[in-house]
Amino acid sequence: MTHFELFGLQPHVDVDVSALEAKHRALSMQLHPDRLPPSADGATRRRAVEQTTNLNEALKVLKDPTRRALYLLGLHGVDLEHRQMPLPFLEEIMERRERLDAARARKALAEVTAMAREVEALRDRALAAAQAALRTLPQGLEMASAELAAVKYYQRFLEEVEAIEEESHP
Amino acid sequence: MKGLLQIHDPLKPRGHAVGIDLGTTNSLVAAVVQGKPRCLPADEGEGVLLPSVVHYGQDGGVVVGARAVALIPEAPTDTLKSVKRFMGKSLSDAETRKLGSYKFTPGTGVVRFEVAGGHPVTPVEVSGEILRALKRRAESHFAGKVEQAVITVPAYFDDAQRQATKDAGRLAGLEVLRLLNEPTAAALAYGLDKGSQGLFAVYDLGGGTFDVSILKLTDGIFEVKSTGGDSALGGDDFDRTIAQHVLDERQIVNPSPDQIARLLQAARAAKERLTDHGEVKLDFGGRSTTITRAQFDLWVTPLLQRTGVACRRALKDAGVKAAELDGVVLVGGSTRVPSVRAFVAEVFGRQPLADIDPDQVVALGAAVQADLLTNADRQDEVLLLDVIPLSLGLETMGGVVEKVISRNSAIPIAAAQVFTTFQDGQTAMDIHVVQGERELVEDCRSLARFRLTDIPALPAGMGRVEVRFAIDADGILSVSAKEQSTGVAQQITVKPTHGLTDDEIEQMLLDSIDHAEDDMQKRLLREQQLEAQRMLLDAHKQLQQNGDLLSAAERADFEAGIKGLTELAAQTTDHLALKAALGELDERSKPFVERIMNRAISSAVAGHSVEDYR
Repeated sequence: MTHFELFGLQPHVDVDVSALEAKHRALSMQLHPDRLPPSADGATRRRAVEQTTNLNEALKVLKDPTRRALYLLGLHGVDLEHRQMPLPFLEEIMERRERLDAARARKALAEVTAMAREVEALRDRALAAAQAALRTLPQGLEMASAELAAVKYYQRFLEEVEAIEEESHP
Repeated sequence: MKGLLQIHDPLKPRGHAVGIDLGTTNSLVAAVVQGKPRCLPADEGEGVLLPSVVHYGQDGGVVVGARAVALIPEAPTDTLKSVKRFMGKSLSDAETRKLGSYKFTPGTGVVRFEVAGGHPVTPVEVSGEILRALKRRAESHFAGKVEQAVITVPAYFDDAQRQATKDAGRLAGLEVLRLLNEPTAAALAYGLDKGSQGLFAVYDLGGGTFDVSILKLTDGIFEVKSTGGDSALGGDDFDRTIAQHVLDERQIVNPSPDQIARLLQAARAAKERLTDHGEVKLDFGGRSTTITRAQFDLWVTPLLQRTGVACRRALKDAGVKAAELDGVVLVGGSTRVPSVRAFVAEVFGRQPLADIDPDQVVALGAAVQADLLTNADRQDEVLLLDVIPLSLGLETMGGVVEKVISRNSAIPIAAAQVFTTFQDGQTAMDIHVVQGERELVEDCRSLARFRLTDIPALPAGMGRVEVRFAIDADGILSVSAKEQSTGVAQQITVKPTHGLTDDEIEQMLLDSIDHAEDDMQKRLLREQQLEAQRMLLDAHKQLQQNGDLLSAAERADFEAGIKGLTELAAQTTDHLALKAALGELDERSKPFVERIMNRAISSAVAGHSVEDYR
């Protein structure tokens, strides 16, 4: 069962997140092991734990636009793991990372934050382009793959920024 | 004896399920009684708070609570307080270097304290004693057994700290129904009380830990959206700040454990008085130091700012702005400090609520959850949905962490990761699991290392093992693995980095049962010894006063009986043998006692004048 099916949804790039969360609450009420009567046996309990685990994983993927888009791509058989990126893109990313490392070494937090804003904007643009392409499946598959592969690089960069912010006030 | 028999009666229904707040400074036990949660008082009239202090005596005896607190000045290193700070920690942890009167056992692995009366103890064992005391309190309250409990933990506790808490529960003979996050417990107590809906922040500053959780309450569902905190920040740090200023001011460089213990107690008292006074005197070492509220506020500002960082991050993680909150709830004794309240009001832009006693609210919520999980008659539609506080990651090349499950994911949750072999014919792989948000392994908390074995020998990159990491509803990790080409499940032995192994826990459990039996045997023996002493004393006295009532043969026989009992009482450790001997001497003395009684009565009658009977 796909994450979409679990929530009774058609696989689609656009999801109403507040409706998704409401459905998650309703399903949790039905499936969660804590809702079982105290007399429930081990097998019933294990099944409830498994179903709730799946439900929570599905929620995590579907409520986040990037994870959701990547998942949808996966449902169409695309694996971005080994995708080759254009050289200019890789060079640009390398250069940004070097600047980030330098700013980190100087503890120039304001500079780190400014770079993060820039990359966030790039990520948002690439994600929007990927989402637009995913609305035109199956034609948009290649376009969406290219944009989402870039999103992954930007995302990794932003995770590093978060780690830097974390170390500045542990 | 009645109590003992009840405990062992298998036909009795399962006892009450309780909620336990195992706190840094104080612990409480609560239960739902007639539909309402309430904290159970100690029968010695100590109120509902049990100080989380355990004293180990020279004779191996253990004292818990207020009586142990009284022993801190005379035995500072044998009387352990705030052990929660050391749960799931090793000696290399920064926590062990803070000001305190502990005597640590040198070595690696979990923290151990040197105490009087035998072997060093771990924080798990000390916590086990506190839990056992609470269990006894609940059992005497209900006059029945209590075997199941929901135990609360700081939301920001990592896997090792959670595991240690669960182990302590096991040691105390409790089935831990759930490890419940403290802010979530508080929200449950508040939410049910008020039938609330909406978004709430819970700011929980206890004796040693700080948590902040953002929760959404909708139709009986308590959904944690995000949580943050610092499991090494609390009121203890406030006390230490005061103590450190006194030490600095008096230029005391190397205080003794005894001095530290006294000073910390004085600092805590001063802090508490500052809640209602603008200025207080701290008496220590025969001198008095004046501390003003303004000074104290200034000292704790850096600590409060650390809580502010966590609050803002929790809001960000929940995707919520402070203005969108419907309420802010204060939990934990340290939120009584006026500057803490002012700070919370500033961070969240609103006055916080504190209408339920901040010391009791967590235990009350835990009791509600215990009832929800065990009471088949409960009809209310209530469910708690919590999150994992810290991201779970794996060590990759170059000591960099790759996140597998990100923080604030709803639990239970699982994630799978495929590992490929990198050498021809490789049959094993080492995996290192860490918890934390930092990029490098060395900056995160090491949870466990394990080795995947029995991978079929294949060319490099062909051996593929899928490892599944699952976080249960207690926030505790388990790992399973499957080799993909053969589908064979892998045997994984997870070696906890900062925990006790199952074998160690098992041994402690056996020891504690042995001890309990030992203690019981000793007590019964002591009772019989006292009884023998009393009887021998009596026998000697009667022989002296009324020995003429016995024939020479009778007297010799009786004296032999006395001699036998005297010798046995001095030697035996078998209380049953002693009891039998006592019975025998009692039997032998019966004719003698009869004659003594007769003489007493006749002398009494003879001693009276005729007038008395007129």
